[in-house]
Amino acid sequence: MKIQILGTGCPKCIKLTENAEKAARELGVDFEIEKITDINKIMDLGVMMTPGIAIDGEVKSVGKVLSPEEIKKIISK
Amino acid sequence: MTDDKNNCCETNAQDTCCSGEGVKTLILACSGGSNVGQISNQIMIELDRSGIGNAYCLAGIGAAMSGFIESAKAARTILIDGCPVACGRKVFEKYGIEPSDYFIVTELGIKKTHDFSKLKEETDKALNALKTKI
Repeated sequence: MKIQILGTGCPKCIKLTENAEKAARELGVDFEIEKITDINKIMDLGVMMTPGIAIDGEVKSVGKVLSPEEIKKIISK
Repeated sequence: MTDDKNNCCETNAQDTCCSGEGVKTLILACSGGSNVGQISNQIMIELDRSGIGNAYCLAGIGAAMSGFIESAKAARTILIDGCPVACGRKVFEKYGIEPSDYFIVTELGIKKTHDFSKLKEETDKALNALKTKI
């Protein structure tokens, strides 16, 4: 599973990364984290508010720091 | 503060990245093939220029691109359709998005035609009518 964190590196983006790693580890899934920090690439995805998170290329949330529990739910869908 | 954080605060993401819980306003227009469709597009541009929000891609939502859909759900949205056929509204409904503000150009005093020769004056008239409603 590929988890992409969309954000230019602010504390919220870092927190979302930590929460995503925690959620994936606790679910026991194979995963890799990719941090997309280039604002032009982020906007090419249509994302206008950061941080955002995408799972396997599909944007699941923008403009929010999801909790590990919330991320577990979107990973499990 | 890291270099990344500095980059963050110098970008368009600033409003919702480093500076709190601000929500962007996104403006979308049907941009259809009639005078009122093109006026909706021009109104979107004028509202963007006025600093009311950011022009945004209805087509991206229509194309089911997840980043566009999730951004529209998370943002405050102003949706402008040209006529009561309401293609923009139907695209929103398809993906469960409710616009914060919604306007139809034909309800702003402009008759739907395929005459594109009066777009400037019709846009000005519609924009003036719309500004009394925002």
